[in-house]
Amino acid sequence: MMNKIAPPPHCSFEPDDWLRLAGYWYPVARACDVGNAPQKATLLDEQLVIYRLKGQIVVARDVCPHRGVPLTLGFQEEEGIVCPYHGLRFGENGRCNRIPSSPGQTIPAKLNLTTFPARERYGLIWTCLAPAQDTDAPLPSMPHWDDAGFQQITCPPFDVAGFAGRQVEGFLDVAHFAWIHTATFADPDNQEVPDYSPAETPYGFSVDYWSTVGNYPASAEHRGPGGFKWLRRFDMYLPFTATLTIHFPGESRLVIMNAASPVSARKTRMFAPIARNFDLHVPVEDVHAFNHKVFEEDRLMVETQRPERLPLDLALEAHIPADRSSIAYRRGLKKLGFGEFFLV
Amino acid sequence: MEKLAVFVDALSRQGEHCIAVRLIPEPGKSLPAWDAGAHIDLHLANGLIRQYSLTGPPGGTDHYLICVKNERDSRGGSRYLHNELRLGQQMEISPPRNLFPLEEADSYLLIAGGIGLTPLLAMAEELERFKQPFELHYYVKRRSHVIFRERLDSHFAYGRCHVGSGCEGRSPRTTLPEGLTQPAAGKKLYLCGPEAFMSHIRNRALDAGWRSEDIHSESFQPPARNIPCTQIEHDFTVTLKSSGMSFTIPPDKTIAAVLQEHGVDVPLSCEMGICGACLTPVLEGKADHRDTVQSETEKAGHKQQITLCCSRSLTGNLVIDL
Repeated sequence: MMNKIAPPPHCSFEPDDWLRLAGYWYPVARACDVGNAPQKATLLDEQLVIYRLKGQIVVARDVCPHRGVPLTLGFQEEEGIVCPYHGLRFGENGRCNRIPSSPGQTIPAKLNLTTFPARERYGLIWTCLAPAQDTDAPLPSMPHWDDAGFQQITCPPFDVAGFAGRQVEGFLDVAHFAWIHTATFADPDNQEVPDYSPAETPYGFSVDYWSTVGNYPASAEHRGPGGFKWLRRFDMYLPFTATLTIHFPGESRLVIMNAASPVSARKTRMFAPIARNFDLHVPVEDVHAFNHKVFEEDRLMVETQRPERLPLDLALEAHIPADRSSIAYRRGLKKLGFGEFFLV
Repeated sequence: MEKLAVFVDALSRQGEHCIAVRLIPEPGKSLPAWDAGAHIDLHLANGLIRQYSLTGPPGGTDHYLICVKNERDSRGGSRYLHNELRLGQQMEISPPRNLFPLEEADSYLLIAGGIGLTPLLAMAEELERFKQPFELHYYVKRRSHVIFRERLDSHFAYGRCHVGSGCEGRSPRTTLPEGLTQPAAGKKLYLCGPEAFMSHIRNRALDAGWRSEDIHSESFQPPARNIPCTQIEHDFTVTLKSSGMSFTIPPDKTIAAVLQEHGVDVPLSCEMGICGACLTPVLEGKADHRDTVQSETEKAGHKQQITLCCSRSLTGNLVIDL
């Protein structure tokens, strides 16, 4: 059952911004984590239950239509997920298929779950709370994910106590490598940011950033040929998903998607699918660990920035030439009609 | 500013990317005399005003000669001239003005980069006429870009001319004129070309011991990312919609600076045209966009906004929504 959606109670976003945000796709879980038990997720303050039944993924409000108990407190059986309070069961498309206390009764539509469209892509489950009637917002796309020779890795989600906009802007930022990421891949002495130019795209913007900042782990013996220029290609899918394609020496490529899922105005769950065509012998656990370390390095910055929201009025913060991407990001959000996101 | 009516008398291809335009006065009239280093404003039919240095032998009152490069990221001026100009077409120009005059000296070193040759060629012609010794060094990416090749090939009696081609390993980065390393009292250096080229030569000259008052330059581009634009700035006025007050913006000050001096609150952040914090709607007049934050589409759009921190005006007055 789909219905017109309104901001949930206790919503932390400004209502206009919430409605606008609800029109985009966000990841809410890793596909591999949705098995035979209802999974909990929160998106834009909306509590969700995610379950997989007979090959179908269902994303629904985590509220039993009968007496409002979260279904994630229940369990899953062959024909659906079961509410712990009165045993009502919900199956394909969120339809109620059992009322234990009245087994012979026809089941009213009112008992079906409020569901949202669900898609499985890049190892993630994506949903959209308020799909537009006419045109479906496109899912962000990720370079090389489906290409031959590329390994697909989906890192465990990473929770940040901060606003998605601040987290994404940090992902786009090229001036902080030498200050924050020195224990992982950056050189503390390589601080200068060559000029670069974001270019508008239908989905946001893209940036080709050329620099001498390598991307081998700081511990690696070889750091690429001397004077090698690294290309980092950023693609920003407004509002909160960006991909980074790193051109290593030769034909080696590494793609990281930073899909920031706004749990609330002050909480973000970051999903990071990765595709690469080299080092295929390296265990994925090492990749998980390395990326976790990189995101962990960013944590303190993103969680302590003030104001917590992203100031879309460019006069509110100072900007330097290295900020062209974040300026393009803020202008892009403003162009979509976003306001202050949240005020209190 | 009075305007002069002229006609396009000849167009010629100069190297791969440039055209020379010869302008003549109305029949029976003559044009104001001029000195090397002078420029004129061209009032284009598309509403733009662009400045071009006069080139060729100075003084002539029967015609003016300019040379225009087809800029890859033209803001409308050079593209218009390359695509629309026709023989016999009437145009309006300003009388010549000279902000880059030749000063008295014993000898002269002229160093040009690309289209920056135009005022320096006029200087070479003038020095030749007055039998003054000079050296002209002209740098291009490749030989096929050379403008006024025939003139350069026919030699000067009082000066030496060198063409350096980057593709043949003679770029200003690798090969500098010997004369640059030998500053002397009574010797003056004249530079014209892209900003990076000029700052490179200027720094080398200062390193070699040139006095900065002996180095003269005229740039064709603002420092920000080589946006082609002539750098001869004009006064214009800015009028605030709210109060109706007008302020004169001199060549050496930004709109924002003048407004702030008069107590007007301007929302500045980057002060270099990259962030758009000070973008303000333009209600009347035509902005000369110098920022790098707005897209070309925005700069050419119907509803114009201007960055007060760095942009200027193509019209005498701008009315802004402040």
